[in-house]
Amino acid sequence: MPAGRPGPAAQSARRPPPPLPLLLLCVLGAPRAGSGAHTAVISPQDPTLLIGSSLQATCSVHGDPPGTTAEGLYWTLNGRRLAPELSRVLNASTLALALANLNGSRQQSGDNLVCHARDGSILAGSCLYVGLPPEKPFNISCWSKNMKDLTCRWTPGAHGETFLHTNYSLKYKLRWYGQDNTCEEYHTVGPHSCHIPKDLALFTPYEIWVEATNRLGSARSDVLTLDILDVVTTDPPPDVHVSRVGGLEDQLSVRWVSPPALKDFLFQAKYQIRYRVEDSVDWKVVDDVSNQTSCRLAGLKPGTVYFVQVRCNPFGIYGSKKAGIWSEWSHPTAASTPRSERPGPGGGACEPRGGEPSSGPVRRELKQFLGWLKKHAYCSNLSFRLYDQWRAWMQKTHKTRNQDEGILPSGRRGTTRGKGSPAR
Amino acid sequence: MSRREGSLEDPQADSSISPLPHLEAKIHQTHSLARLLTKYAEQLLQEYVQHQGDPFGLPGFSPPRLPVAGLSAPAPGHAGLPAAERLQLDAGALSALPPLLDVVRRHQAELNPRALRLLRRLEDAARQARALGAAVEAVLAALGAETRGPRPEPAVAAAAAATDAGVFPAKVLGLRVCGLYREWVSRTEGDLGQLVPGGPA
Repeated sequence: MPAGRPGPAAQSARRPPPPLPLLLLCVLGAPRAGSGAHTAVISPQDPTLLIGSSLQATCSVHGDPPGTTAEGLYWTLNGRRLAPELSRVLNASTLALALANLNGSRQQSGDNLVCHARDGSILAGSCLYVGLPPEKPFNISCWSKNMKDLTCRWTPGAHGETFLHTNYSLKYKLRWYGQDNTCEEYHTVGPHSCHIPKDLALFTPYEIWVEATNRLGSARSDVLTLDILDVVTTDPPPDVHVSRVGGLEDQLSVRWVSPPALKDFLFQAKYQIRYRVEDSVDWKVVDDVSNQTSCRLAGLKPGTVYFVQVRCNPFGIYGSKKAGIWSEWSHPTAASTPRSERPGPGGGACEPRGGEPSSGPVRRELKQFLGWLKKHAYCSNLSFRLYDQWRAWMQKTHKTRNQDEGILPSGRRGTTRGKGSPAR
Repeated sequence: MSRREGSLEDPQADSSISPLPHLEAKIHQTHSLARLLTKYAEQLLQEYVQHQGDPFGLPGFSPPRLPVAGLSAPAPGHAGLPAAERLQLDAGALSALPPLLDVVRRHQAELNPRALRLLRRLEDAARQARALGAAVEAVLAALGAETRGPRPEPAVAAAAAATDAGVFPAKVLGLRVCGLYREWVSRTEGDLGQLVPGGPA
């Protein structure tokens, strides 16, 4: 009896449906006694085929009264009647079908091939599974949240389109010993991801890979080897506060707290700050705020609302030589710079607290400040509070001077006072 | 409650048992539940046919409506039966449905493993059928009418035969079971509606 030509792995990959109850015998395939009803059997039942392959099927009728013929029978596929020239009567009770160059299945539950009697009633059905074997998954990436778990995601081969249900299984094992383990919590961060919540070892490499299986075969990704400590990420820094710096119209102070879960390990943490003007989508990023939990943004526009976010990289956990993985950005925190009639420049950078002289224009300012300090201050201890007071004084003085000279009518940009390197 | 055809009052029953306000509330509550489940059953059926592919769900699609062992559709004469008997049949059907819905869910978990909403609806339907069946039996008990009592295990629970009947027949079975579920919750809603004060006689 002619049959479809399944792919090479079809027989082994094909899983029989789960046992159906005896009640099912009443649904299809068993004629009602004395009713004159016909039933039929389609062969092959539920074949699995490669895209582009051909299928030869038969519908064999049996029923009451005897002498039932295949004349008048017809086929539908997914509800659409198939052209008569694709069918032929093989014998008195058998109608054959020949389909060529099959397309991928329309639904994962299988294409519905149905044999109908002349009056349109359904005699039998068979589900076709037409697709492709899976290709090798690739691009596995993993991260551990606070060294407690491991989440991995991957890209399915061939962009995942096999037209068949394809099962992905993330496997892992300790490199030097141990058995294969299978991840159980799937789709945690997207359709191709898995989460391992516990029982992970540190200071020893894991091997991780993905196996893809469907009715037509299986494929395995390359193995990724990693140590949990090299892929650590953490929560975003909590308690981010943004505030004005006295009356300084071009600065904002940002403070935050180390992520509590790794607080005791973040000796070399790196932070990044990004900020943007309220009605802009362009973020400016301040890099390498190394191991500090505060920063001052300078060179901002006066009278402007800024949104600020901070994120953390747990670099060097337990002596790991590798950078960790950046956390998510903290929730945006907003603050506004004080208003000024003198428009300021748009750029800014993080100025470290603690009085370290920075390069360029800030250095010149500090030099001027020190000269002023010698003249006006009675204490020799430098402090940013005094520096801020001086800056506020400078700005007032500058404003007054320019108004007197008629240099800066409202709305015109003034010369830059040198606010540090532009944010990256 | 006035004496009328289909009334649950039985002249031979203990006259001290009469519908109490809380009983009316119970009937009303069970009727509301049945109405809600009728809506869910319709949604389940639509979700089910979507995932089986055409011709399931197409107008005019009519697979053989052969009976499912252990459960059949409400008989044409159901509406003419006494109320107690109608509710007993409702309760019986509702208790037969959960294992059938479980079978359908297990099969759909193989056929449509990514259809999470369908699988959840099938699981919910089994649970809701049990709940509605128990509520109907509670109404029957409160009214002094005989409940069905323990039912024999339906065929589905006992059947372990590795019947390789095929995927298409399994899809048809699921359609049939979802259809029966809809018919019976709708029938239950109608039968309880006749007992609700102010409902149709």
